[in-house]
Amino acid sequence: MTPGLGIWRCANCRSGFFPQRLLCARCHGASFEPDRVYEAVVEEVSVIRHMLGQSDWQPRRIASVRTSDGQRITIGLTDESGPGTVIELFEQDTAPFGAAKK
Amino acid sequence: MHTDAAIVGVGQSAYTRRPQPGQSTHTFIRDAVVAALSDAGVDAREVDGMAAASFSLAPDAAVDLAWKLGVSLRWLVQDSNGGSSAMNMLGHALRAVESGAASVILVVGGDATGLGGYAKVAANFNIVTQLHLAPLGHGGPNGVYALVTSRQMKKYGLQKSDYGHIAIAQRAWAAHNPYAVYRTPMTMEEYLAAPLVADPLSRYDCVPVVAGAQAIVVTHPDRGPRGRAPVRVRAHRTSFNYDNQEGDGLATGISTFAGELWQAAGVRPEDVDVAAIYDDYPTMVLAQLNDLGMIAGNDLARFARRDIGERRFPVNTWGGMLSAGQPGGPAGGLNGISEAVLQLQQRAGARQVKNARLAVATGYGMTMYRYGGTAAAAILERME
Repeated sequence: MTPGLGIWRCANCRSGFFPQRLLCARCHGASFEPDRVYEAVVEEVSVIRHMLGQSDWQPRRIASVRTSDGQRITIGLTDESGPGTVIELFEQDTAPFGAAKK
Repeated sequence: MHTDAAIVGVGQSAYTRRPQPGQSTHTFIRDAVVAALSDAGVDAREVDGMAAASFSLAPDAAVDLAWKLGVSLRWLVQDSNGGSSAMNMLGHALRAVESGAASVILVVGGDATGLGGYAKVAANFNIVTQLHLAPLGHGGPNGVYALVTSRQMKKYGLQKSDYGHIAIAQRAWAAHNPYAVYRTPMTMEEYLAAPLVADPLSRYDCVPVVAGAQAIVVTHPDRGPRGRAPVRVRAHRTSFNYDNQEGDGLATGISTFAGELWQAAGVRPEDVDVAAIYDDYPTMVLAQLNDLGMIAGNDLARFARRDIGERRFPVNTWGGMLSAGQPGGPAGGLNGISEAVLQLQQRAGARQVKNARLAVATGYGMTMYRYGGTAAAAILERME
């Protein structure tokens, strides 16, 4: 688990992106610098109760969140946080997760 | 307006939830092609163009399909834009016929992934899904559109039962479609009691995956069967990656061209007799109709309860994919086009909308990250 979420910041206009892009969606600059965001606010939550092709699935929570830098991303929620909750972001491998800020 | 090209025939295979040994994407497509050529009164030797789309044709490509169908072509397109592939291919085919690039074009789509195969497709839809969504256990498109649905409910004051009106109305239409996999009428109580799949989506909000295929024939209007009016396209528009996935997903790419579409067609939304709206989820039916300007005052709840719930306006009269089944996104768009053709030609049997002359059909799909990034629509009309 790595604290925060890696984003890609345009070297020209400073816009931040997740997932990674090839060109900046604002200025079409081609150079990006790695950056990290650590907080987000939960906007919508869903519980995935059924997974096609799996019989022993345990429900998982996912959420649409807005990061402190403005990106709207989809994460896995590891606690019972609901809409409006400020959460801490962390990464497991290539996937973003979050839980309520302690 | 496309005046020198039209749809003259439609056909489909059987739909099944569980393909049997010996059945494959290829055999379903074959069955749809045979049905469409027969319907159009066209010999396979006359076909000189083909457009194909499928999630499960690989490792074959469209040219392999041409070979296995025994059609020699001078125009060939393979589209990979999911739920809008069918509509995209229709546009390509119309322009190809009008430009002389081909004279008789088969537009085909089909899939036979099976449920396990579809789960693999859903988890590997694109690189972003592989890296950032599937590891969450996001549930494929169900999880994505669960979040979109929550946003839509919040923004427009929708209740769960409002989506039920769409599912129930389409099930009632499906009762008259022998190809539909679910034809038993559904009540609101049954809809609301269905198990949750991905909150707030429950079983009847999620399109059932089926194996099957659809095909249409596009050619010069004069080459259609005698005594049957061909269906022409008054206007056709597409959109790709309309907002870089930075919006809320409640407006689709249709919002970028709707005004232009109606203007080019020379008709108004209120002139439409029947609508075939890509229905992977009820949420997206409302979103697309709203983008088309067909929901007065952007009052989605009133439209769902009154116009659809009280059957005042016919939407997805073959049962939609929600009841008939989704044979992959590509064929799932072709069945809407095919139904529009049948309705306009007064060939829809017990589900015929009286005096239908003008239809709108849409495609929507390719869930890139937070919602679909492709959309397309056409205004279709029976030629007299």
